[in-house]
Amino acid sequence: MKFSDETLMAYADGELDDDQRAAIERALGADPALAERVAQHQALRSDVFAAFAPILDEAVPPALTAAAMPDKVADLNAARAARVEQAAVARRRWSWPEWGAIAAMLAVGVLAGSQIGGGGDAALTLAQGAGGKLVARGQLATALSQQLAASEGAVHIGVSFAARDGSLCRSFVMHGTAGLACRNGNDWQVPVMAEAAGGAAGEYRQAGSAMPSAVLDAIDARIAGPALDAKGEQEALQRGWQSKPAH
Amino acid sequence: MIQQEIAALLPRLRRFARTITYNREDADDLVQIAVERGLGRSEQWEPGTRLDSWLFRIMKNAWIDEVRSRMRRDAVFAPEEAGEHVGDDYAEAHQQRMAIQQAVSRLSDEHRMVVALVLVDGLPYKEAAEVLEIPIGTLTSRLVRARTVLQELLSDQARKV
Repeated sequence: MKFSDETLMAYADGELDDDQRAAIERALGADPALAERVAQHQALRSDVFAAFAPILDEAVPPALTAAAMPDKVADLNAARAARVEQAAVARRRWSWPEWGAIAAMLAVGVLAGSQIGGGGDAALTLAQGAGGKLVARGQLATALSQQLAASEGAVHIGVSFAARDGSLCRSFVMHGTAGLACRNGNDWQVPVMAEAAGGAAGEYRQAGSAMPSAVLDAIDARIAGPALDAKGEQEALQRGWQSKPAH
Repeated sequence: MIQQEIAALLPRLRRFARTITYNREDADDLVQIAVERGLGRSEQWEPGTRLDSWLFRIMKNAWIDEVRSRMRRDAVFAPEEAGEHVGDDYAEAHQQRMAIQQAVSRLSDEHRMVVALVLVDGLPYKEAAEVLEIPIGTLTSRLVRARTVLQELLSDQARKV
């Protein structure tokens, strides 16, 4: 029986019905030339398949995924917007009026902690400054003004950065309390403070991990550009934490 | 729903596009067009029929009707890429893949389409014929011819090396 090339190809591609397949298989055993042609079709097929197969494993460009799932992208945008909204609510929640009572309470805690630490000049670490804002005093104020991020001490300084209003701000952890201080004139105002995660006195984790979200949100809300590096921090310290003069 | 299904098909759509176009950017442009059109007329797709075939058809039409002419069409096959590290098993396999891709790129559009659908993607003849909107007899004769030409191109390349 003679088979057309089309039939042999269809056999190689698994496209024949049972009867046709059985007929070819009977002929194959008896005809090496026929078997050779079928093998050629199969080899070409598997070679061509293999040549393009790695494309399946490539990372799909994000633009294509986004094109395929516009709703998902819209969802993501909505989620992001919701998150920003939430953060705004959180920030509003931490705004000054509610802060008075909490800050006063925390100040006592910090005060007690620093006394246990034995700091002589640390009798007062926070006080209400002009306009009812909380400002750093004593040991905390000294650390904020004089300490570099890398140095050890009762106060751990986290990031230092320029805020959008031009003032310089530094995050700190002190006796289990984390906060943000921003330079205002010759004072360090403390717009936010909260209990540091797992931050028992003297046990300073990496600044970022110990920062409570209220402090991180406050940083996010203020920071303009990247945080200061060691050199920038040093320069700011020498300027007395005043804003960089305009060029 | 259809969006997730299309997203899941993206790797295959990209492979199909890369088989029928000549370079990566063109291929992804073509996929993007197909995806956007597919979503734009998703009401034309009948649930229960194959979404993959439907998208391949959109891609095929976009390629033939409009995209082909404005594609870069410059070869992707850098000779130095094919010639490096001869003797290395991986490099040899890579070299063979490149040789085959190159041979496929030299086929006519009609032949490259059937190769892309049947040999590369593995669609059954019936589905491939529907994608191309041709009778199944036309598909099989085209496929036989495409294979013959491809085999010749590969033998020519082998002789030149």
